[in-house]
Amino acid sequence: MPLDKTLSIVWKGIKSFFTFWKDFLVGDSPILALGAIIILCIAYLFRGSAILAPVFTIILVLVLITFAVWQKTKTRRHAHN
Amino acid sequence: MIDQSAILLFITVALASAVEATEALTIILASGITRGWRSTFEGALLALACLAVIVGVAGTALIYYVPLYALRIAVGTLLLIFGLQWLTKAILRQTGFKAPHDERDIYDKQVATLSTEKKGILHGQRDSLAFAISFKGVLLEGMEVVMIVISFGLANGSQNQLETAALAALVAVVAMTVVGAVVAKPLTKVPENYMKLGVGNLLTVFGLFWMGEGVGVHWPLGDIFLLVLLAIIFLATLGLIAYFKRVNKSITEAEL
Repeated sequence: MPLDKTLSIVWKGIKSFFTFWKDFLVGDSPILALGAIIILCIAYLFRGSAILAPVFTIILVLVLITFAVWQKTKTRRHAHN
Repeated sequence: MIDQSAILLFITVALASAVEATEALTIILASGITRGWRSTFEGALLALACLAVIVGVAGTALIYYVPLYALRIAVGTLLLIFGLQWLTKAILRQTGFKAPHDERDIYDKQVATLSTEKKGILHGQRDSLAFAISFKGVLLEGMEVVMIVISFGLANGSQNQLETAALAALVAVVAMTVVGAVVAKPLTKVPENYMKLGVGNLLTVFGLFWMGEGVGVHWPLGDIFLLVLLAIIFLATLGLIAYFKRVNKSITEAEL
């Protein structure tokens, strides 16, 4: 098999691999993956505080769910307005 | 003695596996009924074997070679993302902003597609299309379960927990397969969205808890705090459902 054809197949395989994992982990809600990473960073920053760390992380999760649902309903709400 | 987190773990993995098994079963039934059972079963069995190997090899290797805190950060973040995805979709379906997952509709579409491609596909005794559809369906639906099984299995860094998680998945898959074989049609009566709401809550709670432990957050009350977290997320979910249901109702009324 010629080299360029082999490289093209390998490149296609690599692209499919990363597309699969991107779809799998991020899906159609990149905000959730991004939000989870932000919550991880906040939890790390406040890990020394017995009160702030649990409180902040829980509040952020609640805000994230609310925002994600609100964002997904935006189209229908805007169409109505 | 069995602790509360082990029971919660078993329930979460079993429910998640049951939801995915219901979806995979629809594809298997559509393929088996339209194109024959032999190749369909072969495809499904090969996919299940691949999934079992991934759990066995990746799960066991990770337990032995990756430090516990790193595993907890990774699996916690992964579970949190999965949990939030399941929860958001389930809330949108529950409030009417997203169409419910209709197994009958998916089944009918699969049957229609597979029936039109019946001729010219058979190679000897094996139907390659039935094999491929069944293999791909089971592998893709099962991959999320594999991730959940590995994540739950790794969070305490013990082989026992990995085995418990794998057993929960197996019990759920076998149960759904038996039910599917008995009724021989898509499982439209399975309350999928309620199950997704439950699993979404549990995955979010476990994900947040383990991610926090991984980075050094000290949860008050230790493992019991899982139940407190579960209550908080559950109440928030109910609140969101009530609010967005009202929003959807007012939009629908205005449109009429």
